[in-house]
Amino acid sequence: MLVTWRYRKRRSLVQSFDPRAWIIFYLCFMGVTISFWDVRILAILFGLSLGIVISSGLAWRETRRAWLFIGGFIIYFSLFTFLTGRGGMEFYTEEHVIRNVQASFTLFGWRPVLHITVERTFYALSMLVRVFSLASMTILIPYSFNPSQYGVTFRGLGLPDKIAYAMDLTMRFVPTYARDFQITMDAQRARGYEIEKLRGGLLAQVRKLAPLIVPVTIQAIAGSEDIIDAMDLRAFGVQPRTWLEELHYHARDRVLIALGVGVFLFSLALSIYGVGSFWIPEALKALPLL
Amino acid sequence: MDRKMLGVILTLIIVFAFFLGLVYVGGNMLGVERLQTGERPLLRFAFVGIGLVAAFLVYAFTKENKAWAVGTREVVYMAIGAALYAVFSYLFNGTVFVVPSVSQVALRPAISIPMFFGYAFGPVVGFFTGAVGNMVGDALTGFGLYPQWSVGNGLIGLIAGIPMLFADKKKSLDTVLIVGAILAAIGTLFFFLFRQVPNTLFYDPANNIFGDQPASLLVGLSIVVGFVLVLIVRFAFGKNIDVAAAVTWGMLGNLVGLGFAAISDIWINGYPPPVAIVGEFLPSAGPNLIFAAILVPILVIAYKGLQRQTGR
Repeated sequence: MLVTWRYRKRRSLVQSFDPRAWIIFYLCFMGVTISFWDVRILAILFGLSLGIVISSGLAWRETRRAWLFIGGFIIYFSLFTFLTGRGGMEFYTEEHVIRNVQASFTLFGWRPVLHITVERTFYALSMLVRVFSLASMTILIPYSFNPSQYGVTFRGLGLPDKIAYAMDLTMRFVPTYARDFQITMDAQRARGYEIEKLRGGLLAQVRKLAPLIVPVTIQAIAGSEDIIDAMDLRAFGVQPRTWLEELHYHARDRVLIALGVGVFLFSLALSIYGVGSFWIPEALKALPLL
Repeated sequence: MDRKMLGVILTLIIVFAFFLGLVYVGGNMLGVERLQTGERPLLRFAFVGIGLVAAFLVYAFTKENKAWAVGTREVVYMAIGAALYAVFSYLFNGTVFVVPSVSQVALRPAISIPMFFGYAFGPVVGFFTGAVGNMVGDALTGFGLYPQWSVGNGLIGLIAGIPMLFADKKKSLDTVLIVGAILAAIGTLFFFLFRQVPNTLFYDPANNIFGDQPASLLVGLSIVVGFVLVLIVRFAFGKNIDVAAAVTWGMLGNLVGLGFAAISDIWINGYPPPVAIVGEFLPSAGPNLIFAAILVPILVIAYKGLQRQTGR
């Protein structure tokens, strides 16, 4: 068990930009994606996100677990939406049947029927592509965002010094507390504590987690006094702070921000006027109604 | 009236005017369907107005309160809280330790951290601990970022820190319990009305379960179990007001914060309301209440011991 940052310096498109520019672009991409339900537009966005993932230099073995988990989650929900027809009701009022699949058995006299309709199929497909686009871009962040630049990045994005510095400190504390947790767990194991074999009912199990949670938390708070004193001695918060690393926008960063914001505003305008809303092919509207 | 207060009032008026203008110009004048409010537009705007006025009143009456101040100490506590929450989330969310679930009730001890930090160090520290800790924890596990859940976790810490605004922490405890009871009752009612909705947060890959099992009876009732435990702690520790207040406000923060996150998924992910409430809200908020009732008192008592020892 070791908590470490998954970030590694790579020669990739994502890491070639200023982190502030990339965060703004990422937020714009999210805004654009959630503005549309038209599977054709969403497919373009999905293609773009896949292209960015492929160019990020991430190996499959590094991200496999995240992809499998999120993929399973998204596919399940899309399937659930498809089978039940729930979730898309606000987009369509009538359904065109592709096929009715009837079960060969009955349950207390009721024969289950699955209505496969054009609307349900396209809604599930749109949802699948939409969420996969968002997930693909999101998965990249911990792998491509240098933790040592969190503070200066958030300051550069307009957050107050104190909040930006708190973000920076958080990143530094994570590996430390993971190590403290390991030491505490080893000490408790030496006393016969086994987290893998928690016994008893729900309440007993919750109570038995205290020997791990409480010492690590209280030790962290007790140790904070030294950090607070050190910061106070250096007059933290008295004047605007400076950062060890400085970030500078280059022309390509400005282009990325302008592109992201421009496309987002355009998408928003299109979306407000109903362009890019839920779509099904005209030809399939000839199918019989449910 | 000081400049800061004037700024807040102006901001609230601008926010309100912006939404009103958007609906009036876009919805009524330009006829954009997506900007039309449908039935009872006045009622809808009344709720927006009430929300903004409530937010303003909380600020106006408490703006001088030290609870909102952010100094060196708060910055460090924010970072410690967020880092601890991230590490515990990473370790206990099934990625490192597979702590066995009890009848689909996943054990997430990490949730006690934003509640405790909110109560001990104030609403600002609580909000940061919950929001940033959740974000970093998700980044570590590789699950991706879910902003609405980060804000929901932030609200848990923020609301847990509200007692710091009161000189007397006993104040409003009974009201908080009544509000909590109503929210728990609504959640449980949904569970009995929609028994077939799956517990979307329960994953057991060994048994091929990926959030598709109908929520178990224990999951459905966990919010009631948790609320009863909170009630017991509230009255059993009647004389130790720190424990009673931490648990009671932590309970409300948990219900409001996770309720916010789950309900926002109706619009963000297009989930039907029963899936959001029975499939997301109950499996997360219910077990969290159990942790609020058991781990938060232990943390509060341990912290009081530390304060006595160090004299700070």
